[in-house]
Amino acid sequence: MLPRHPDARAAFWAGARTILIVAPSYVPFAVVCGVASTNVGMSTSAALALPVLVFGGSSQAVALQFLQNSAAIWVAVLSGLVVNLRMAIYSAAMAPKLRHLSAPKRMLGAAFLVDNSFAFVERRAQTHPKDPHLLWFYTGITAVLWPTWVLFCAVGVLAGNVIPASWQLEFAIPLSFIAMSAMSVRNLPMLAAALVGGAASVLLIDLPLKLGLIAACFIGMAAGLLTEKTLPAKRLAE
Amino acid sequence: MSGWQSWGVVISLALGTFLIRYSFIGLFANRDIPPWLEHALKFMVPAIFAAIVFSGIAMAGGRLAGLEQWPRYAAGLIALFVAVKKQGNMVWTVIGGMLALHTLTWLARVFPNQ
Repeated sequence: MLPRHPDARAAFWAGARTILIVAPSYVPFAVVCGVASTNVGMSTSAALALPVLVFGGSSQAVALQFLQNSAAIWVAVLSGLVVNLRMAIYSAAMAPKLRHLSAPKRMLGAAFLVDNSFAFVERRAQTHPKDPHLLWFYTGITAVLWPTWVLFCAVGVLAGNVIPASWQLEFAIPLSFIAMSAMSVRNLPMLAAALVGGAASVLLIDLPLKLGLIAACFIGMAAGLLTEKTLPAKRLAE
Repeated sequence: MSGWQSWGVVISLALGTFLIRYSFIGLFANRDIPPWLEHALKFMVPAIFAAIVFSGIAMAGGRLAGLEQWPRYAAGLIALFVAVKKQGNMVWTVIGGMLALHTLTWLARVFPNQ
């Protein structure tokens, strides 16, 4: 399994070590996602397969939250996919690094692309330019992150039947996203996108088919773009 | 939810997500992402994350949570404070918010409005 070349091995372990520091912080989120899939009444086999095949916590959480609020199944899936649209950026950024590979290997590389692996691979590409073993670094990250995610989602699936509803564990989903929001807002237009998108999601709560979240996402996006256009470039630099 | 409905969610979410991930790596491999799309998607992340937060806190059991459920909103604000202080650390934010929710819910029950 592991590469023979010592530098490639080193890159693999460097990736594994890097993500090992971050992975524990995703444990509660994984458990909550698992619990949520039990709570919405998913069959156990499907609930266990969800993190294996999707491997995208935000989209899993959103789809499950929609099912919890008794949205139609296709709306739940669509909302989860909108959450994952950001991965198109990661795909575009990773494409040149995978271009020399065969189609099956490129598919494998695409399948495990998540926020963290993308961020750390990009950083590694900057600190180790022209490293021929960059993809082994990515493999090292994935070798830790994917099993960890699957394992703790499974813990949640099995614990979901035991944890009493009075714990209100589903409240941990928006709480996890508060942490992710705090990371994702980096400037004033992004703050505008967040505030307007958030407010719109509440105002549009009664939109038919619970399409409010998707609408709110695009309204917030427009607000961010508009703020960026309106503000003089000088003030943005501050 | 029936078995085939559960698997329908899993398969369609997995397939759709894979197509997004494979988009510029495989499907449009010889094309660059249009700059306007890349730029717009950057704003999509904070917008959708905040929308999940706001609607997740304001919605309880499929309906808008009224002011009598103020511990939900207060716990959200406390979690935001923790998240900013701890640079987005997920464990601290979730623990802080859950502790706040249960403490405040308890307080609201022990000291009801006059």
